[in-house]
Amino acid sequence: MSVIALTDVVKRYQTGHETVEALKDVDFRAERGEMVTIIGPSGSGKSTLLNMIGLLDTPTEGQIRLDGRDVTDFTEDELTEERRSEIGFVFQDFHLLPMLTATENVELPTMWDTSVDRHDRAVDLLHRVGLGDRLDHRPDQLSGGQRQRVAIARALINEPDILLADEPTGNLDQDTGRTILEELTRLKEDENIAIVSVTHDEQMIGYADRVVRLIDGEIQ
Amino acid sequence: MGITELLWRFPSAQMAWRNLGRNRIRTALASLGIVIGVISIASLGITGVAIQQQATSDLGSLTNEVTITSGEDSSTAGVTADQVDEVRNVAGNVDVVPQYSDATTISSRNGQEENVSVIGLTQANVLYDVSAGESPERLQSGVLLTDSTANQLGIEIGDPIKYNGQMYRVRGLIESDQGFGGGGRGQLVVPESALSDRDNYDSVTIVTEDGDAATEIAAILRDHFNEETHNGEVDEELSITDYSDVQENINSFMNTLRLALLGIGSISLVVASVAILNVMLMSTIERRGEIGVLRAVGIRRGEVLRMILTEAAFLGAIGGLAGVLISLVIGLALFRVLAGDAMVVFEWESARYLVYGFLFAIGASVVSGLYPAWKAANDRPVEALRG
Repeated sequence: MSVIALTDVVKRYQTGHETVEALKDVDFRAERGEMVTIIGPSGSGKSTLLNMIGLLDTPTEGQIRLDGRDVTDFTEDELTEERRSEIGFVFQDFHLLPMLTATENVELPTMWDTSVDRHDRAVDLLHRVGLGDRLDHRPDQLSGGQRQRVAIARALINEPDILLADEPTGNLDQDTGRTILEELTRLKEDENIAIVSVTHDEQMIGYADRVVRLIDGEIQ
Repeated sequence: MGITELLWRFPSAQMAWRNLGRNRIRTALASLGIVIGVISIASLGITGVAIQQQATSDLGSLTNEVTITSGEDSSTAGVTADQVDEVRNVAGNVDVVPQYSDATTISSRNGQEENVSVIGLTQANVLYDVSAGESPERLQSGVLLTDSTANQLGIEIGDPIKYNGQMYRVRGLIESDQGFGGGGRGQLVVPESALSDRDNYDSVTIVTEDGDAATEIAAILRDHFNEETHNGEVDEELSITDYSDVQENINSFMNTLRLALLGIGSISLVVASVAILNVMLMSTIERRGEIGVLRAVGIRRGEVLRMILTEAAFLGAIGGLAGVLISLVIGLALFRVLAGDAMVVFEWESARYLVYGFLFAIGASVVSGLYPAWKAANDRPVEALRG
């Protein structure tokens, strides 16, 4: 069973008097242990598709199933719970909180969950992404590549089924980008998760198990 | 890092504390408004109390007395010794001073004459303060005379005065501006023995702590002595007079004054709340993307709301604490000057304004934080992430 499945998804935006169809009858699925890379030119609907998969946005038409459960008509609060337990995010600009240490940033998604202490897992994850000696550093004391590793560790803190990466190498040089991709490939197998990424980076295609091309809101 | 260790157990508090630490100058400026607001409320409230205490102690000698005379349904003329004992029992631990009254004329060596009221009593010190000489606890011999009368007649301490055929030495001069009684007429205070031929006392004066206590004791005495008969009329054995009307007027004026002062103080707190609203709104708009990330990684709306409200509450608490400390210093100085005892500020009557000021500060800040918090929590994560 696919961990995430989008069926006949349509997304329309109203901009002024014009209706823009960002996604047209998109079918998409991803399996555990698989890295899917979505590529396409700017404005092709890549980010919209990623937002749908990440349950940040809801489709105008069609259906989204997470682990076989229909989540299409979930309320914002229900979607928040799903994101909290099933999904991890990695952003192009890392989006770490500047006043928190690396460990605290990793713990952030589970911080309000006082019933479970994820501190040990946070430290373990940072060790696994090679930041065992940077646990108490703040983001401004870390390089771009190190920050993205912290962000990856943060995305995995809740033991998600899916990790979504929006241009994860977009702000990194080629060498650093490659190490990040190697990290993701390793974690994909260790954690048995689906990784869905959006990219312009040619290098990233080489690491993908499957490439989805999106043009004008349609999968080619 | 002690405080952050503790806060770690309260995620909203932890995040709020860190967020405030990011822009210390802004935090300090936002709190400054609250500091000023709290100082206004607390110090104006305390000023009200100080003025009231000052006024009550100035006017207190008028209103803290209860006067008892024979009632219209009494079978005896005057107040009997038995009744005085009963009054003592009922009134409890207050000064009960039975007295005889009379009038006489005293003359100076050069023949000048002056009419005075005569009061015969024992506990002179309870009712009379002297400007010269002494006001004895038990007046057994000698007399006291109002100082203005003494001046007019050229009488000094130790001079003899003739009353009822006996000579008495003047032991003290009474300050002239005391109480309602006297009516401009001078008073001659003599020992009870000078009027021992009387059967009953003419009146009894009870001196209590303050006006409220006088009102209370007067009510208890009325209940005790003046029973309602079966046909609904009151059998007035003793006529009991207190000055509760005067006391009430003073109290109501003081309350008005205090409310006016608090009103002025509240305006500055309103201004402070607007400042906090502004700061919180700016800071949530600045952090829009960050809050979007929180929401994306599964932080609930309620949790974001609590985090931002906690930030506002912290601003209020920081400002409130500073404001309370400064107000305390002002209050200490104020009571030092007005009441002569700085420590009075710690009595609940005035200390409560410090508590009110602090609670108002937190309340006003949280209310100001509501809109920014609600706005941040309900921003759609997709849009917030775009920044």
